[in-house]
This record gives sequence, C-alpha cells and structure tokens, in this order.
Amino acid sequence: MLRCLLLLGLALCGMAHAVEPSHTDLTAEPAWKGWSRPGRASEIDIRVTAETARRTTLEVVAGLQTVRADLDLQPGRTVRLQIPVSSVERVTVSVGSPAGPSERRDVVLAQSESPLLGLALVTSESVSIDGFHSVSLGADDLPRNSTAYSSIDALVLDAPTLGALDQRQLGALLEHAAGCGRIVVLNTNERVRRLLDGAGGCGGHTLLNAASLPEAAEKLATSLATSVPPAMSPGGVGELTRPAAGIWQRVVLCLAVYFAAAALAVLFFSSLPLLLVTPVLACAAALALLHAAQPPSQLLVWSEGESGARFVRYQASQRVQGVVRELTRVPIPPQLAGSARACSTKRAMSFGFDANRGLATFAEFETRLFDQASLCFSGGFPTTRIVEAQDLPDGSREVRNAGTMAWAPGWLLAGGLLHELPALGPGARTLIGSGMPQAPRDAAMRTALTRTPADGVAALWPLELGGVVDAPIESKGWLLVSVPRP
Amino acid sequence: MNDDVPARRLAALTGLALAATMALWWLGSSRIALDRVSDAGRASADALQALWLVRGMALALVSMRVAALRGWHPGMAVGLMLIAPAWPVLVLVWSASTLPWLTAAVLELLLVAASFVLPLFGQALRRAVPRAESAEVIATSIGLALASAVWVTRALWAGLLR
Repeated sequence: MLRCLLLLGLALCGMAHAVEPSHTDLTAEPAWKGWSRPGRASEIDIRVTAETARRTTLEVVAGLQTVRADLDLQPGRTVRLQIPVSSVERVTVSVGSPAGPSERRDVVLAQSESPLLGLALVTSESVSIDGFHSVSLGADDLPRNSTAYSSIDALVLDAPTLGALDQRQLGALLEHAAGCGRIVVLNTNERVRRLLDGAGGCGGHTLLNAASLPEAAEKLATSLATSVPPAMSPGGVGELTRPAAGIWQRVVLCLAVYFAAAALAVLFFSSLPLLLVTPVLACAAALALLHAAQPPSQLLVWSEGESGARFVRYQASQRVQGVVRELTRVPIPPQLAGSARACSTKRAMSFGFDANRGLATFAEFETRLFDQASLCFSGGFPTTRIVEAQDLPDGSREVRNAGTMAWAPGWLLAGGLLHELPALGPGARTLIGSGMPQAPRDAAMRTALTRTPADGVAALWPLELGGVVDAPIESKGWLLVSVPRP
Repeated sequence: MNDDVPARRLAALTGLALAATMALWWLGSSRIALDRVSDAGRASADALQALWLVRGMALALVSMRVAALRGWHPGMAVGLMLIAPAWPVLVLVWSASTLPWLTAAVLELLLVAASFVLPLFGQALRRAVPRAESAEVIATSIGLALASAVWVTRALWAGLLR
C-alpha cells in the first residue's frame, strides 16, 4: 500500500514537472523611444524567445485595434516583429495560447502636444527649434514601417546613423522622404548623396543635406517656414467616388415586391394563417437575399508627385459595405499591407499578421447592413513621369512626354481649367489649350483642380490597378503629377 | 365570422401602410447616410423604435375596441394583422442596427403577446357591460389611455433600445 502511494506521488510529481510551462521571453520596445503624437501612428519592436519549440499567438492591442500573429517558436531562436500601431497612450503586447500561460507587456507611448524633432546622431550634440520637442535617438529607435514616421514632425540624422540602418529602416526612411517628410542628413558623403538624390518629395524641398548641426537647424527652420502641400486625408480619398448603392437598391426592390405581394394577399385572401404566412415568408426571403449578397468593396487610390520625381506618394482607402450582421474578413492587398490601418480609431478591428513576411494579411471587423468600414493605406511607389509644359505666344501650351515610358490618355490642368491630354509616347508632344476646356466630370477631377495652384500646371491620369493583388473589382486610382514652372 | 373579414382587411392594410411609411423613411435616411459615408445605424435604431412605438399604439387603440364589439378572436386577428406586415421591414432594419437580436425578439414577442392579451380585456369588458355602445366607448377610452401611456413612456422604451 505504502509502495503504491509512493509510486502515485512520484507519478504526480512527474506530471507536475511535465506540465510546467516552458519560459517565453517577450520584449516590446516602441519606436522613437516611445514618443508619438495624438492621432498619429507608431511601431512596436517585439522580440519573442522560447526555451522549447511551440506554436503561440502574439497579440498587440492598441485602443480598439488588435493585431494577431501566429508564431512558430524554436528553442534559442528569437522571433522579431515590428508591428505598426495607432498612437494611443498604452499598447498591450501578449503571447500565449488558450492552453498555455500568457506573457504580457504594457508599452506606454508618450503623447506630445508639441511637434517632435528626432535627433538620430552618434554624437551627444543637440539642437533645438522653437516650439519643437527634441528627442535623442539611436539607429535602432527608427521604425521599419514608414507609417510610424508620422509620429515625428522632423528628423535630423547623421551619416553614421544612416549607415547603421538596416534595409527595412532605410526603405521606410526613403518612403517617408518621398512623402515630403522633413529630413536633414548631416555629413553626407558622395555615395549617400547619390542615394538620396531625387528621393525627396515636394521638389526635394524637404530632404536636405547639412555639414553641421547648426546648419541643419537653420535649413530645417527655413524648410519649416515654407509649407508643403499636405497629403490628402483618408476621408478625402473616400469622397472621390460615391459609395456603391447596389445593396440599398436591392433592399428597396425586395421591400417593394413584398408590399405588392402582401397587398394582393390582403385583397384576395381572408384566411388569418395565410395572411400571417406572407410576412413570415418575406422575412425568410429578406434574410436569404442578404446572406446571398456579396459585401461590396472598393479600393480608391490617390497618388501625387512632381514631374521627374522618382517616387510619388499615395493615400488609399478600401471601403467595405456591410450586408448582414457578421464578422467580415477582408484580404489586404500585399502591395498596400505595410501601411494598413483602420481609417477610424472608433471602429474595433483586428488584423491578421504574417510573421514571416512582416505584413498584415487580412482585417476582421463586425459589419451590418448599410454599414461602411474603411481601411486606410499610405506610402509611395516609383514612377517615371516627366512632363514638360511650355506656354506658347498664342495662349496654348505645348506638352511633351520627356520620360521613357508612354502615357495613357489623361487630363492637363492649367489655370484652373481642364483639358484632355492625349496618349503620348516617349519624346512625343502635343498642343493643348486651343480648344474648349472640359468641365470636371467627377470628384477626382474636382479634387485635382483644387489641389493644383491656380497658376500651376499638372497632369492627371487614371491609375491602372490591375497589378494590385486582392484588389476589389470596383477599384479606382488616379495619379496627379505637378509640373514645375520654368 | 365573415363579418370580421372587412375589419381584418382594414387592419392588414393599415399595418401595411404603417410598415411602408416606416420603410420609406428608413430607406431614405439610410441612403442619405450612405451617400455621406456616415453611420446608417442611428437611423435604423430610430426606425426600430418608431416601428415598435407606432404598432404598439395602434394595437392598444384597435384590438381592445374590436374585441369589445365582436369578441376575442376578431380582436386578436385584427391585432396580429396590424403588427405582422412590418416583420420583413423589422428584420431588415434590425440587420442595419446594433441592437442585440434577443432584445428585438423579446420586444416583438411582447407585441405579439399584447395582441393576444388585450382582446381578452375587451371581451371581459363586453361581458361586464350590458350595452355594446358603452363597452365600445369604455374600450376605446382604455385603448386611448394605453396608447397615450406608450407615447408618454417612449423615452423609457428608447432607453431599452440603446
């Protein structure tokens, strides 16, 4: 008996040891040393290490937005992810599975009311600009997602820090520069100058070089004194086309048919069960109609840049219209996934994150009939549009395709007027302005006109979005290229 | 029984007219919200509240009076004919709202239960009052009082729907 009890005790001890959880090490560091600004975006650098091989789920919660990633942990190997988050005061990072224990870290993001100046310098030098709050940064404090650059308003970095950036950090920095981010690079050598040449958006007025920190401060102050055209707001992109009304029209038709059928039933039948069956059947038909309908989805992309620039910046919005009350899953186009976020911080949304590719793959959110949820994207893409426009004495304009790629037909915007621009091959030219100007046909044309200075010249083309994987069928895009005045 | 058919038809047409009016208003509000890329859920919450309020008041006014004149079964039939035509509209409006399905189901079942219970009072009134005209007047007065109570306490119902 005693032997049995001892054996049982040993077995229980063994079981207790066997179910003892393996230790998981979790660290979470915010970009920009935890500094951000209200309503902007930031990034959390997460490292997860486990003692034993296991599958686990990483969850990052920032306000109403959640990012989830399945991790395949191997002993001794650290999984590192940089997750973009909206700027909220507290971000919660946790790893675990329903069966296992959960490690949890709270990351605090300091919300600065003043504009932020990032100083990524290897020396301990500092500089201040009136009204700005300066933050000293190391190379590792710079984010890997360009959207996280919205946390700061200006950045000064030196050549050694620039050299210490990894490929993803450099990509994010260049994308921010292309999007008119204010950056001053100190002590650049010829190689770095070549790298940065033409990478800055807004005519290169916001990507500056300086030999010393005082010169950097002076150039930055001068740059800040001139305003750059603001990027279009996500809401503005959403207003470029009217939402699809197909589901609404279907509901109207469904109700019209029901009321007609019910009126006929009332006129021709008097049986109570029959008159009650009509609305019950109509309820079933209405629910079936809603469940059979596909939620309409539309991707809108607005991009703009300067003639000759290597990159143009874009703002995009994917609008999904709800049909029934359910959890809707929307695939995120991989080309846009790096900056995917909910357009409204008031909507609860969770993102599936592919840990291997470091990209969001889908978004999930609750929808209902006529509900409209939007995902927002921003960034830049390479382009080769070089437009030359020359005023002629008779009031018309000669427009030349000075680039190496042919243009599709578009519109030329000049003097607040809109003219059709024919397709032009490389080196080809055309005369514009001798005919009658066109009236803006849609919201995109009106937007292009309002975003072009009255004395400026710009060209507008529809964007071909066929190459965007997982883009909804109802997708539209535009490219506005401003032409510098001679 | 055949005498009840016109009243039943009239009630069904009234129910259809009420449902159609509410559907028209809800569809219009939803279309405006869609075009403005704003939330159509608020219009749906208002439409749900109006659907229950209007049908509740109509039921209180009619079913007891009909039962006082013709008995429980015609009163119940008229009550059901008043509320049932709005069911498809209710399902669609609920689909566009944030109201939990259980709350919606309970409220609709309450309305159905009322269409069974109110005629019972009407019938009891007819038995208690010898003159049919007097029973009708009393039933109509009670119905008016009930409808007024539903209207006065609408803020309370609205609170339940938030």
